[in-house]
Amino acid sequence: MNGSRFLDPKVLARISNLDLLARTVVDGFINGLHHSPYLGLSIDFAEHRAYMPGDDIRRVDWRVFGRTDRLYVKQFEADTNANFSVLFDLSRSMQYGSGAVTKLDYGRYLAACLTYFSRRQRDRVGIVTFDDDVVDLVPTSAKHLDIVLHTIDRIEAGGRGEIERPLLKVAESLHRRSILVLISDLYEEPDTIMRAVDRLRHKGNDLIVFHILDPAEIEFPFEDAAPFEDLESGERIPVVPETLRDEYRALMNQHLTTLAERMAKSQIDYCFFDTSKPIDYALFEYLSRRRRLSRVH
Amino acid sequence: MSVTFLAPLFLAGLAAIAIPIMIHLTHRERRDAIPFPSLMFLRRVPYRTVRRQRIRHWLLFLLRAAAVILAVVAFARPLLDRASLGPVILGSAREVVILIDRSYSMGYDDRWSRALNAARRTIDGLGRDDRATVVFFADLAEAVNQPSADQAALHALIDRAQLGAGRTRYAPAVQLARDILEVSDLPRREAVLITDFQKIGWDGQQDLRLPEGTVLTRIDLSDAEPTNIAVTDILLDRTEPSGRGRATVSARVVNAGATPVSDLSVALEIDGQDVQTRTIELSPEASVMVRFAPVAVPERVMRGRVRVASDPLPQDDAFHFTLAPLRAVPLLIVRHPSARAREALYLRRALGIGRDPPFEVEVKRVDQLQPADLDDRAIVILNDAPYPTGASGQRLLRFVRDGGGLLVVLGQRSGAGTWPAAATDLFIARPGVMIDRLGGRGGTVSILDYSHPIFEPFSAPRSGDFSAARFFRYRRYESPPSASILARFDDGAVALAEARAGMGRVMVWTTDLANRWNDLPVQPVFLPFVHEVARYLADYREAPAWYTVGQALDLTDNPAARPWGPPSSLPRTDRSPELVVETPSGTRFVKALGESSSHVELRELGFYTIRPLAEDAEAARVVAVNPDVTESDLTRLDPEELALAVEPRESGSDRATALAAALTPAEKERRQGLWWYLLMAVVLILLAEAAVAGRLSGTTR
Repeated sequence: MNGSRFLDPKVLARISNLDLLARTVVDGFINGLHHSPYLGLSIDFAEHRAYMPGDDIRRVDWRVFGRTDRLYVKQFEADTNANFSVLFDLSRSMQYGSGAVTKLDYGRYLAACLTYFSRRQRDRVGIVTFDDDVVDLVPTSAKHLDIVLHTIDRIEAGGRGEIERPLLKVAESLHRRSILVLISDLYEEPDTIMRAVDRLRHKGNDLIVFHILDPAEIEFPFEDAAPFEDLESGERIPVVPETLRDEYRALMNQHLTTLAERMAKSQIDYCFFDTSKPIDYALFEYLSRRRRLSRVH
Repeated sequence: MSVTFLAPLFLAGLAAIAIPIMIHLTHRERRDAIPFPSLMFLRRVPYRTVRRQRIRHWLLFLLRAAAVILAVVAFARPLLDRASLGPVILGSAREVVILIDRSYSMGYDDRWSRALNAARRTIDGLGRDDRATVVFFADLAEAVNQPSADQAALHALIDRAQLGAGRTRYAPAVQLARDILEVSDLPRREAVLITDFQKIGWDGQQDLRLPEGTVLTRIDLSDAEPTNIAVTDILLDRTEPSGRGRATVSARVVNAGATPVSDLSVALEIDGQDVQTRTIELSPEASVMVRFAPVAVPERVMRGRVRVASDPLPQDDAFHFTLAPLRAVPLLIVRHPSARAREALYLRRALGIGRDPPFEVEVKRVDQLQPADLDDRAIVILNDAPYPTGASGQRLLRFVRDGGGLLVVLGQRSGAGTWPAAATDLFIARPGVMIDRLGGRGGTVSILDYSHPIFEPFSAPRSGDFSAARFFRYRRYESPPSASILARFDDGAVALAEARAGMGRVMVWTTDLANRWNDLPVQPVFLPFVHEVARYLADYREAPAWYTVGQALDLTDNPAARPWGPPSSLPRTDRSPELVVETPSGTRFVKALGESSSHVELRELGFYTIRPLAEDAEAARVVAVNPDVTESDLTRLDPEELALAVEPRESGSDRATALAAALTPAEKERRQGLWWYLLMAVVLILLAEAAVAGRLSGTTR
């Protein structure tokens, strides 16, 4: 069976076991990248360097010592045991989906896959879920894969979303440099979003923002006049879609463009997805970011 | 070309076009709210009527509008007025009726073979879509097939065709052709008339015309100067009755040609043998009566034939007849015992000189009457005699009921007391008192029923004057309502009454026939009157010596088979329900007699023999059949004259237009069936609409 079939969000939606889902996706994805330059990225031997006091003696290459009578330690690429944490937006707007997969589901698949994938890199994994406040927080740990996956599995949409306050709490709680993956639909003003993410970035974290939207949020294909209800606030307004479709699209594009530019300036990796795209797009984006983060000195 | 509608009121349904317009102008407003992640990019937009009146989805709208329009037009039953388009649209298929004359004049020389060849050429000329009907006609027309395009079958019909023996009549053929062509739905019509155009076939009186647009094609098979000798008639002159009779045969021979004929041999043939021959000269268009010497007539039916030498038309060269012995009608006069012989003198003498038929008269006294005396009698006349008593009276009653005739002549001795009660069954009522008109000039017969067979011969002027006879005495006779009064005296008293008793006939004459109470016996009308009464009471009908082809022979009515006389060798149809009929050509068939099948149409020339199935040929009834002599006249009719009479008034070149114009709008609409195509288009459009709507619906959710 072609592994890419599992990467289709509609297919993944049929797999209830999130652990199995993550294994299926990630293993299939890696198998498919067998000849990729990223294979074995994190555990490949890089070089030797002279032993310095304080180095872990477990890294001493005793065979070199036997031949040369000098102490050298092995240095591996990405053999960093980095902290990997998912920041998952649970706001009610994430519950929206015009097709078979909601943004929340898509985010869950993505979070599960990334967590599993990171754990395969021997990273410590954790997760923070939030809406207008932190809902769940699983600290990063090498043993927390199951807990993280379990947390992801029972994720349900919360209330109104607010990105600044929960991310501020996250920033305050992080004491070690981490790789942070923010999964959200980012329905906030760009300034607010940037304030929140800049705090994380400024603390030395590597932040990757996965901006997830439904295709209907981008194209606004509605025809019939109807009241539109805000999923988070419950507010309703009458809308004649065809009269403001163009304006809506322009505003949305402007919002996306602004976010992309502002995050680029802040050296934040910004990835935009709609839920119709296969999961491996997101994995690929993540890997390409991770490659740049992989060399640990 | 224009488009009209059979049901234009349905076009009002075009108003339904407003439905898709309304649908497409009106934005459906959903009542349930559409959940949306965030309204931060949506702004409140008020409903703006102007903007809502813009048609959305033009393709869908056009499909729906087209479906509505086409459906409405289909229900309005559109039709194209195709008359202006002519035969291009109407097509070229023909309905052809091939009328083939098979009267016996077509047997002249090689006309028949030429007629069949012409029919075959016509069939070969039929197109693939053409249909043809073969009609053979003479005095009647008969279509031998349904309209067919199968040329092989049509050829087979022609191959099986046989010349007939009838005379030519064009009216039935034209009528049948018209009936066939009128109901045809093919755009072109044609009647092909293959005949010798005999003048006797068309009297110009019939108002017959072929349907409009029909082309009449005439194939003339007549000859320029035909010659024809025909035996058209014979006269049989019987001289003596009762087995010792002789008959003189006279034949009329006609030269219908334009050239004189000399040394023409005319032969009389009896039972297949030439018995006499005459040689005659014949001028052009003249006739000669050829008289043969008397021939003896034996006690059986002879087959006679007068023939001339064969000519190009052999069917009328011989004339067939039967020669049967004359049978005298046996008649018994019963007189009063006291009556003198001369009282029946006038009656006996009158009956004694009868020749057509002869009467065999016997006189008996009523008191000497024996039951056996009534055997084999046709008529009994009670001439002023009382009703017989005893067994004779019973026998007389049975005699009448079995079909015998009884004439009761009232007179001096036939008062009411002379009639027993048992006899009232026959006499209807008893004779009344005598009326004496001796005081004046006597009475007269003033009212006669000239419609009755007895008095019908006297109905013409100067054919018999009953008013000359004076009646001085007669008896009162009160006839019941069931009796028919045939004659009355001037005072209203009954002179002659008739009643039925069983199968027989009873007549009462209320005065004598002895020249005492009246002077009728010495009047000129007496002889024919007595003969007519006797013929009527005996139900005497002379068997025809010949029939004409085309006549229907009633097998149940054989005039030669009479209930009286010696046992007849002639077939009695009441004895056998099945008869064997042998035609002149030798074909035999059994005819089961019934109410609906008691007739045989005489189609062939010559002698038919008819006999009961169980009896031998000796008991056969022989019927001679001759052609209709008018057919012997080969005078030609101008084909143009016939064509002008029967061709449609509209020319054939406009027949397509005529056909189209002749069609009613309903017929045009039915032929074109445009509604069907329109509804099919509606179905296809609706399918396309469903597909488009489904796609659009999928993109808008």
